[in-house]
Amino acid sequence: MIKLKHISTIYEDDFMALKDINLEIKHGEFVSLVGPSGAGKSTLLKILTRELLANDGEAIIDGVNLAELDSDDIPFLRRKIGTVYQDFKLLSAKNAFENVAFAMEVCGASDEDINKDVPKLLSIVGLSDKANNFPHQMSGGEKQRLAIARALIHRPKMILADEPTGNLDMVNTYDIVKLLLKINELGTTIILATHNREVVNTIGKRVISMEMGKIVRDQIVQGKYII
Amino acid sequence: MNYRDTLEKIIAHGWTNFKRNSYLSIGTTGVMTLVLLLFAGLMSLNFLSTKIVESLQDKVDISVYFKTDSTEEEVMLIKKDLENNSLVKSVAYISKDKALEDFKKLHAGDPLIQESLAELSENPLQPALNIKAVDPMKFGDIVTFLEGNKFRSFIDKINYYENEAVISRVQSITNGVRNWGLIISLLLALVAIMVTFNTIRLTIYNQKNEIEIMRLVGGSNWHIRAPYLVEGSLYGILAVAVTLIIFYPVVFLISPKLGVLIPGVSLVGYFFSNAIQFILLLLVIGILLGVASSAIAIRRFLKI
Repeated sequence: MIKLKHISTIYEDDFMALKDINLEIKHGEFVSLVGPSGAGKSTLLKILTRELLANDGEAIIDGVNLAELDSDDIPFLRRKIGTVYQDFKLLSAKNAFENVAFAMEVCGASDEDINKDVPKLLSIVGLSDKANNFPHQMSGGEKQRLAIARALIHRPKMILADEPTGNLDMVNTYDIVKLLLKINELGTTIILATHNREVVNTIGKRVISMEMGKIVRDQIVQGKYII
Repeated sequence: MNYRDTLEKIIAHGWTNFKRNSYLSIGTTGVMTLVLLLFAGLMSLNFLSTKIVESLQDKVDISVYFKTDSTEEEVMLIKKDLENNSLVKSVAYISKDKALEDFKKLHAGDPLIQESLAELSENPLQPALNIKAVDPMKFGDIVTFLEGNKFRSFIDKINYYENEAVISRVQSITNGVRNWGLIISLLLALVAIMVTFNTIRLTIYNQKNEIEIMRLVGGSNWHIRAPYLVEGSLYGILAVAVTLIIFYPVVFLISPKLGVLIPGVSLVGYFFSNAIQFILLLLVIGILLGVASSAIAIRRFLKI
């Protein structure tokens, strides 16, 4: 489903964030992307959402070469992907319901579907009673669960989570991890970028380790966070 | 989802944005109101200066004096020629008798002149034509036309040569008022447009993150942009409403005072008889400014 061939990325200040990355991720996998800050995890995710265009190499998702997408096609790529960020990236001017609904609206869903699906998903992530709250009226854990609800609402084929537990305490962290595992069981590919060793070791699935912009280790089964 | 639903939704989103950012919305609307008031003020000034220029130009004419022995028929031939000339606005004939009458009236209080006139056996004054030009700049051409006329021999003198300095002075003043008025209006309008643009840009900059998030969630450019354009046009429409509420009473108050300064000019009359055009013009300016500023400001955040 995802194929990266010889991907290299250089930032404007000549910093080489990714160096010759080769990677293949199959449908339904749960991949933990680990490594210290600055290893290139976030850059790699940005390549997949086409926030960044690789300077070299090919990134292919579902047979589509991302370099060939023009600006108008990018939204269609992103609708196949659900994204969860450390800083949540919620729309502060919209309440919980509207935040989730927005992701459906952009796909052209009808009001009827929105009014049916959004409450269902809010209840799955445990936010039924917060539907009318704005992000600033919610706790960190609640915001992250809301972000996950938004990422899931349009039934994406894969979820990219960039340090989703970075701002959360232990209890909330495990809630989120459990949620991601459950989503994965239902068939959605998950790529989780994190530097939280305990989280990675608990999950025990494929682990890709990165350092200085390179993949240094790829453990397919029962992966551990090893430095 | 059909187009009507989509449109309703976009407008609803725009209105929700406007309400939720109420402080910012009120501020932006306020700035736009000031800008529109400035436009309305410029239009008033433009109207007044045009009226002043018109009344000045109306006072400028040239007179053609005919030889005392020329007959009315001969003068009429020239008058007809002049009336057929496109440069001429109007020609008034003043006969010898009329000229004498006017002269007597003018000097009614001067016994010496009255006595002198009484002693004359015949009317010493000349018949004349008073000419007003469509464009006072073209008096020279009218004079040339007269000089080359086949009835030139009936003409005694043309007072353009005596009044040339005055005429060109009036011309330079009216041209100055027009040109400088236009330049100042354009400059102020430009400043007003930049102020509006910057205010809206700041309003949208404030929502930079939101716009980028919408892009990341998979929103198409139009889906993201449309509510902001609606919001921009709402600023415009509200600003027009506030402008009208302020402007018309002010015009109503100052118009009589201006009427005293410049007789025959009614600001109220002007703005009431052209009310529909005026309101439409403000709406076009307001909405266009709001929408265009929003569209330009949002562009750079949609690149992600």
